[in-house]
Amino acid sequence: MSQEEPTLPDDEDDKRLMALVAAGDDDALRLLVHRHHARLVGYLRGEVGSQATAEELAMEVFIRLHRAASRWRPEAKLSTYLIHIAHNLVLNEWRRRGRKPTTALEFAAEPGDSSQQSARRVAELDEAFQRAIAQLPPEQRTAILLVVQQELPYEEIAEIMGVPVSSVKTWIHRARSRLRELLKDFYGNE
Amino acid sequence: MDNPQHKAFDQELAATLSRGRSVAVTGFADRVVGAVRADRRRRVVIRWSSVATAAAACLVAVLTLSVPSEEALNRQTFALFAHDESAQFADLLGASADLSLLSPAVEKSSVAEVLNAPGS
Repeated sequence: MSQEEPTLPDDEDDKRLMALVAAGDDDALRLLVHRHHARLVGYLRGEVGSQATAEELAMEVFIRLHRAASRWRPEAKLSTYLIHIAHNLVLNEWRRRGRKPTTALEFAAEPGDSSQQSARRVAELDEAFQRAIAQLPPEQRTAILLVVQQELPYEEIAEIMGVPVSSVKTWIHRARSRLRELLKDFYGNE
Repeated sequence: MDNPQHKAFDQELAATLSRGRSVAVTGFADRVVGAVRADRRRRVVIRWSSVATAAAACLVAVLTLSVPSEEALNRQTFALFAHDESAQFADLLGASADLSLLSPAVEKSSVAEVLNAPGS
């Protein structure tokens, strides 16, 4: 994995590239993937708790995007559409597994930590949060990931999840409460 | 939300989750393009094989429908028997054949010889 940040998505350019993808231009597809994959993999990793599965699902998202390219209408942002496909794949993944992810989330300490102690603390915090997030009901986890991690507005989350905005707000509120409850002991030591 | 503990918690949550917000993967775009090409080829094969299967099914249907069923053959046979004039003719021929069996087995020439024989 590299830490380089791809260029920021440009909605208008995304539309132009999608038209090229629909015409079979693989270079346009390559550019779109380069733009959007990092956030997609980040979101999917938060959902399924595994880098390998996240990459596999992200690959499937782009394959589906390619198949649907000729039918795609730019009514929403491409990034919203991609996360919508990813969300549906995550739902399938949960059904396939029987329930939500149970495996421990992978964690890698960020480079640049000033000391080993602070790195350890960050690692502990991350692990505690990730474990708590993995215990949330699927819809609460998706909502909290999209609002906090991906910084999406409620309306966009509602569109992605195919529910009213009020449901999204409720799930986010419940997710925060549940996370506070799950991390009560951890925060008691602060 | 005004609770300072909640605020600290929300900040920590945001900090933790934002660390995993973006996970760039080296060479991912090339892998996707490779997978898309393979998917494209697979779909072409599937499309052609389904066309071939449909064509084969049509061929079999045409061949099957052009061959009359056993029942139809039976009906045709009975109908032929019912309207077959040659069969009636054959019946007549059969009757004449039976009559010929009953006729005396003598020849005209042999009768004349008997009548003309000396002493008759």
